[in-house]
Amino acid sequence: MAIHSGMTRRTFLRGTSVLAAAGWTAVGTSWVLSPEWAHAAGPIKMGIATDITGAIAPGGNSNWQTAQFAVKQINDAGGILGRPVELILEDTASDPGTAVGNVRRLIQQAKVDVVLGGITSAMREAIKNPIVRRGKTLYIYPQLYEGQECTPHLYCTGPTPFQQCGALLPYLIKEKGMKRFAMPSANYIWPQLLNKWARRVIEENGGEVVMEEYFPLDQLEYSATVAKIMSDGVDHVFNTVIPPGLQAFTKQLYEAGYHDKGGTLSCVYYDENSVNYVAPRELEGVYSCVDMFHTVEDPFTHQLIADYNKMWPDTPYLFTAGTAATGMYRGIKFYEAAVIETNGDLSREATSAAIDHAMIEQGPGGGARMVPGTGHCEMNMYIAQSKSGVWNIIQADQAVDPKECIG
Amino acid sequence: MDDAIKLVFDVAAFASIMVLVVSGLAVIASLMGIFNLGHGEFVLLGAYTVFLFREWGLPIWLGMMVAPLVVGAFGAGVERTVIRRLYAQPVIAMLATYAIGLIIREIVRGLIGGKYYAIEEPLSGAFQMGGISFSVWRTVIICATVVTMVGAWMFLTRSRTGLQIRGALENAALARASGVSTARLYALTFAMGAALAGLAGALMVPLFSLSADLGVRFLVQAFLSVMLGGIGTFGGPVVGGAMIGSMVPGFQWLREIPGVAEQVSPVVAEVLVFVTALIIVKFWPNGLISAGRK
Repeated sequence: MAIHSGMTRRTFLRGTSVLAAAGWTAVGTSWVLSPEWAHAAGPIKMGIATDITGAIAPGGNSNWQTAQFAVKQINDAGGILGRPVELILEDTASDPGTAVGNVRRLIQQAKVDVVLGGITSAMREAIKNPIVRRGKTLYIYPQLYEGQECTPHLYCTGPTPFQQCGALLPYLIKEKGMKRFAMPSANYIWPQLLNKWARRVIEENGGEVVMEEYFPLDQLEYSATVAKIMSDGVDHVFNTVIPPGLQAFTKQLYEAGYHDKGGTLSCVYYDENSVNYVAPRELEGVYSCVDMFHTVEDPFTHQLIADYNKMWPDTPYLFTAGTAATGMYRGIKFYEAAVIETNGDLSREATSAAIDHAMIEQGPGGGARMVPGTGHCEMNMYIAQSKSGVWNIIQADQAVDPKECIG
Repeated sequence: MDDAIKLVFDVAAFASIMVLVVSGLAVIASLMGIFNLGHGEFVLLGAYTVFLFREWGLPIWLGMMVAPLVVGAFGAGVERTVIRRLYAQPVIAMLATYAIGLIIREIVRGLIGGKYYAIEEPLSGAFQMGGISFSVWRTVIICATVVTMVGAWMFLTRSRTGLQIRGALENAALARASGVSTARLYALTFAMGAALAGLAGALMVPLFSLSADLGVRFLVQAFLSVMLGGIGTFGGPVVGGAMIGSMVPGFQWLREIPGVAEQVSPVVAEVLVFVTALIIVKFWPNGLISAGRK
């Protein structure tokens, strides 16, 4: 057969040898990043299940780079109790169906001691049972999310709805005089549950929700919604529309003159990445509230970002809060703290009992502490406003309670 | 009254985008009998060309002018290498276009790292008329669509090549017997369809941002438009596109009628577009335009 393809055996080998030189080996379809040194008891095996390909790939790659970054820091400092950490990656491919099988491989073949990953709630729902119930393995979920995940041995290291809106919405109402809120949303679980919290906080603080609507995720046209926002005297839009629907919405809102008439907007997944996918004038003056901005006043955070950028120069995948990178870093450090406390006992029961009250002094945006018995953590939260592409910190709240899984 | 004017403008703007997308699909489907499932990716290529111009520091408007030429040339290449071999097997050709589309989409996804990129309009902002604010760029799109459609229609009905294309559609064997090179005509038609897709992508990308799935989002609605308008003419699918393009925002606006919003969520309004279109197709199975002719 005379098939001429660009990929010859030689170029294929050359390509794979580049990966091998960087420390990569392929085992089955998993990728293993082995530490440079060994220990008699073998490495601690950390499984990363994230979206390297597909629609969520920008977030997944940022998570994977963060995991490599955090583990390199740990290994460079001598590992955990002298044992190095080995990373095993499975691509969940932005598809919960594919993910279940891949995650099972992490548990059954690689026999990892802990799994970190999952970005969307659909992904978490799909992989949590294979990991926690059937796999009897510790699971750490890093993304900001809608709350109400109280599965034992599953620990959430990203912000919860209360952490994201508990201070932001009262600030907007009390300090900025916002009264009439609109909640345009993508039609899935995160906006639905987040809005429930947001509505409660808005009403408790004397504000009013005049509109709450859910759209298909890829809706292209929002003129009717925008007209309603304009005619109902809305002064703040609490947005949970996500890409790809997001861009059409923010553009139409801007073109209708909403911003010129003094209307404001907040979106609690906006971070340093947002300048790429939202036009600058539509981002101007927008509020967000996450667990870290690059502008927070914390030397450790600045050093972290600088070191990350040094390890991944010119990367398109930034170390930001909206992509779950901060939660990923925090999760790895929590696990490290837990293993130190168990004195190297890696059994699920022991590490889970230890991580339940683990604490890290320093981290992205500051230290964090697991609230015992809840599977969620206290962390610092920051309200910021975008000005010329920079997030100016308006308010920093220390050790905000997650308010999840209580009782 | 203000609301009515705004409604007409918003509907016209979205219908224009739809018409632009559908026209390229219509040219190829109607005049060649091939459903180009890669059409969404031709739209994406047009948008990507604009993105490249921005990356290279060249003016965005120039990228928009060049995009139809780039995508048209690409379409000609695809016709010559793949489609030409499959005229006798339309179903295989359809699958081939799907494969080509998939390849383009995933390559572009790799090139832009799977991310979204906001692209600014060459003419941005809004202008005020009678206290109502109109988007400048949407106005440009409406005008560009009208000009393009009139141009394409004139080309197909008034020019010699247009006559040959229509002749080849009616009876390819007779056209060849009369000394018309149908191979050249098909290549030209396919390139023209691709160029229209490229134009659509280039003009719409400031509204929706660049992402690998930009074109896919329009594909189903574009096919529905072709079904609605009827295959076999250029005008039919274009009218179908205008109708679908009007229904999408129109049904959302229906929710402004008091009492309707509680019953009809935006998700239901989106589904209603398809239900309505399918009911129309049920009663006019050959499409609106061809039904009128028979």
